[in-house]
Amino acid sequence: MRLLNSMRFAMRLLRRDWRAGELRILAAAVVIAVGSVTAIGFFSDRINSAMTEQSADLVGADLRLASPQPLPPDWLQTAAADGLRQTQTLSFASVVVHGDALQLASVLAVDPRYPLRGTVRTAPALFAPSTAMRGIPAQGTAWVEPRVLQALGIAIGARIEIGTAQFTITRVLTYEPGRAGGPFTFAPRVLIAQADVARTGVVQPGSRVTYSALFAGTAADLTRFKTWLTPRLEPNHRLLDVRDDKSNIGHALERVERYLGLTSLLAVILAGVAIAMAAQRYSERHFDMSALLRCHGATQRDILALYLPQLLVLGLVASALGCAVGWITQEAVFYVLRDLLPAVVPAPGVAPVAFGFLTGLITLAGFALPPLLRLKQVPPLRVLRRELVPLPAAAWAVYGGAATAVLLLMWRYTGNITLTLAVLSGGVAAAIALAVLAGALLTLSRRLPQRVGVAWRFGLNNLLRRTRTSIGQILAFGLALMAMAVIVLLRTDLLSTWQTQLKADTPNYFAFNILPQDVPGTQRFFTAHGIQASAIYPLVRGRLTAINAAPVTQAVTKEESDNDALRRELNLTWTDTVPPDNALVQGAWWSGKPAKNSVSVEERLADKLGIKLGDALTFMIAGEPLNARVDSIRSVQWDSFHPNFYMIFPAGLLDQYPATYLTSFYLPPERRNLLTEMVHAFPAVTVLDMDQVLSQVRSIFAQATSAIELVLLFVLAAGFAVLYAALAASLDERFHEGALLRTLGATRQQLRAAHLAEFVLIGVLAGLLAAIGTELIAYLLYTRTFDLEYHFKWPVWILTPIAGGILIGLAGYLGTRRVVRRSPLAVLREL
Amino acid sequence: MSAYLNDVIVSTHNLCKRVVTSDATLDILSGVSLEIKAGESVAIIGVSGSGKSTLLGLLAGLDSPTQGEVTLAGARLDQLDEDGRARVRAGRAGFVFQSFQLLPGLTAQENVMLPLELAGRAQAADEARDLLVRVGLGERLTHYPRQLSGGEQQRVAIARAFAVQPAILFADEPTGNLDTATGARVIDLLFDLNRERHTTLVLVTHDEALAARCQRHLHLDGGRLVARD
Repeated sequence: MRLLNSMRFAMRLLRRDWRAGELRILAAAVVIAVGSVTAIGFFSDRINSAMTEQSADLVGADLRLASPQPLPPDWLQTAAADGLRQTQTLSFASVVVHGDALQLASVLAVDPRYPLRGTVRTAPALFAPSTAMRGIPAQGTAWVEPRVLQALGIAIGARIEIGTAQFTITRVLTYEPGRAGGPFTFAPRVLIAQADVARTGVVQPGSRVTYSALFAGTAADLTRFKTWLTPRLEPNHRLLDVRDDKSNIGHALERVERYLGLTSLLAVILAGVAIAMAAQRYSERHFDMSALLRCHGATQRDILALYLPQLLVLGLVASALGCAVGWITQEAVFYVLRDLLPAVVPAPGVAPVAFGFLTGLITLAGFALPPLLRLKQVPPLRVLRRELVPLPAAAWAVYGGAATAVLLLMWRYTGNITLTLAVLSGGVAAAIALAVLAGALLTLSRRLPQRVGVAWRFGLNNLLRRTRTSIGQILAFGLALMAMAVIVLLRTDLLSTWQTQLKADTPNYFAFNILPQDVPGTQRFFTAHGIQASAIYPLVRGRLTAINAAPVTQAVTKEESDNDALRRELNLTWTDTVPPDNALVQGAWWSGKPAKNSVSVEERLADKLGIKLGDALTFMIAGEPLNARVDSIRSVQWDSFHPNFYMIFPAGLLDQYPATYLTSFYLPPERRNLLTEMVHAFPAVTVLDMDQVLSQVRSIFAQATSAIELVLLFVLAAGFAVLYAALAASLDERFHEGALLRTLGATRQQLRAAHLAEFVLIGVLAGLLAAIGTELIAYLLYTRTFDLEYHFKWPVWILTPIAGGILIGLAGYLGTRRVVRRSPLAVLREL
Repeated sequence: MSAYLNDVIVSTHNLCKRVVTSDATLDILSGVSLEIKAGESVAIIGVSGSGKSTLLGLLAGLDSPTQGEVTLAGARLDQLDEDGRARVRAGRAGFVFQSFQLLPGLTAQENVMLPLELAGRAQAADEARDLLVRVGLGERLTHYPRQLSGGEQQRVAIARAFAVQPAILFADEPTGNLDTATGARVIDLLFDLNRERHTTLVLVTHDEALAARCQRHLHLDGGRLVARD
């Protein structure tokens, strides 16, 4: 056949097949796969950029470069040439003076372009509601954090001195982008105009100043600049990219992205299974056509030349449809969620469309090609002897094709080799183990009581007779149920983790500098006003000076020698119980044991500074050295808004040092006035407002939640596609069997009851398999990928078999309705 | 169509077909030698299991012999692989089957179009329609096989078999699934078209009425050719 002719012929055949309904499942599965991939692609594209923008708001820029020296002017020029907006800031520690009162403050000098992202918020008076500000303090004025006012005992309008310059305080600084994190560890902020810096005379050669450049721009421009900049950085330069910020928000974003990636992957794999099943059926239903064509002189190549273009065109059309479905879905979701989302959500890029097409074609090729290739192997002699079928597609071809497709997609999707390998190898191992198990379960079900009724017996025997098909079906259903269960579990646990992190009564204020004698009074104040507060922790300031008797600057790697934990004084505390947001990672807690020179170190800091269990640490506290042995290493949930510490000592060890106390508490906005009351009662106490940070974090979590809910829908849709395809695959045989049985006198009720029994049994067995697989995969994902605490998921073991029985029983019952509806004569005549 | 008129169009020499099952070796055909001239009508007859359909399959090149030679339209089928045999069949051989072998998803017209389209004929639809009109199904072009009676389905199959104007037509029990009266009409049609188009006809049958219409009979018994007339 000439190419053009065969192409035309192929398209005609495609049209006929479409009309005859042969392609619907195949196409639907591709549409679902591509739809979910593109919807998730579009959605996470937009949500991601929205969320990145929001975290940029928290940081004040997309990229922040800090240096102890002025930054080379050519770096800034390059940034400008790369199309980035930029501003420079200067920060230094200085004593703020009012009359006789002194307070160490961290002065930030900004130029009018500051901040590039987000807004500065200020209030007209201490604890008054804050408003977003445009612009920066005018020359000669300063905006100060409440702590400055409290410490100096002054109000708005007071004049303070910084170095040799005088400033009038015009606003209370309540929120500054870039100060999210543990602000209470810094000296309070004073914001002034950069033009005033020279006047203060504080910045002299050799004085400790941090020069920062903030950059904002498009992702592409940022990446270009960052790539250019990175090799030029010196050890004392610090570059913070919002996109790889691993702070509380960065960490949450990362988990959402992983979840979305994993979910869309599961949707694609499920759709792939549906495609494989549908292709199998399509192929079997085209054996006759192929034999006939062969009989009329078509060569194997001709057969391929007929079917491959059909597959390609089907893939392209279905992918296009899938892209449309994906686009409409995410538009709809954005519409529904418009109140939750930021006002301006960036438009989706075209990348998801390209990737949607790629997914459609790769999935189709990987899952549908092996069964379709059998068509060229149909012996022409089949026209005389219908029982002749081509050899089943080689197992390696089927699974190899599928595995390659999945690997390709996963790799592109997650860009995360750990996740890819975890899911893929887990999936392969689980599939093999589950297939064996499904066989074993089937064999076991031979022992199920046979005397319960004819329908049950018939259904059961049906299942046992077609062992291979049954195993395949149980596996497919099991896989679908497993995917759904894993996704639902993860979703529930991720969300509940966030919800516990960000409950409505999450502390929104920190109170510190509580004097020891004020501790009982403060606690009484909280109780009297029904304020829920975290535990109250003592705070002793000290510096880590040596690790195993070696000065820290030598003990740690060069890039860590500049670590904030070493430069600053650390907040040291003591307690006899492990704080609620902490978990022991190594070593043992000292509860009950007599106090000795022990210390518990936070995991990430220990990791950065190379501190190990048993190391001897030397601290300098109030000018005296203190030695302690590392007894335990803790993980700390920093984003809990409860007081948390790098170093915790046993009670008693720090008794001789001067300590103040620290706590956090929740106060609804309408009770803000209590703060003034509190500060009057305990003048030494400093209150820090975290509301702004908290609400930003909440809104990001809300968006993440909606994204997660959306992708869940697609996995469910893909799961149902598998269900439908598996059902349809067995339909031809069931039609034949049903017709025969009815000619032999079986009633419709008997047949339907038999179908129900069969599918319920399949569903329950699949549910059991799913429970095993879910437990396994969930364990891996929780511990390796999502950093979630893992518990044995016992409800899964009860719920999935029940859900499987009901879902698949019902689907099977409804899906096979046609089998008993059509007259036996009509069915038998078609054979 | 007969470029091979009075020439031998299909011949075999010492043809054997052996199948090896798990516990025995079975000679389905052994030592079959025959010649069929272009334009002839030949009936292969014999009891069930005598190897009739196997012989037909080998003559048409749908299967390959264990031993011996088959020549179709001058090509040694036994020396060709499956694709090679397919090329020999293309445009030369037509088929009619006991079970009709119509594709259920295609209309009558589309079923007839199939071999025409395969041969790349531009006017496939028109030619198919003409043929269906010729077999008396001009009103049923858009009907699906399930909407047609057995006799009608077989007429569609015959129309399809003659569509590419084959030099030789192989028929396997063409009346096997039909009642006598319907079978008779189908036989008439088959022989009418055979005459009109000078097609060689090789058929396997149990139907004595059908066998009687053929010029020559090849009698198979236990896989051997026992009598020719």
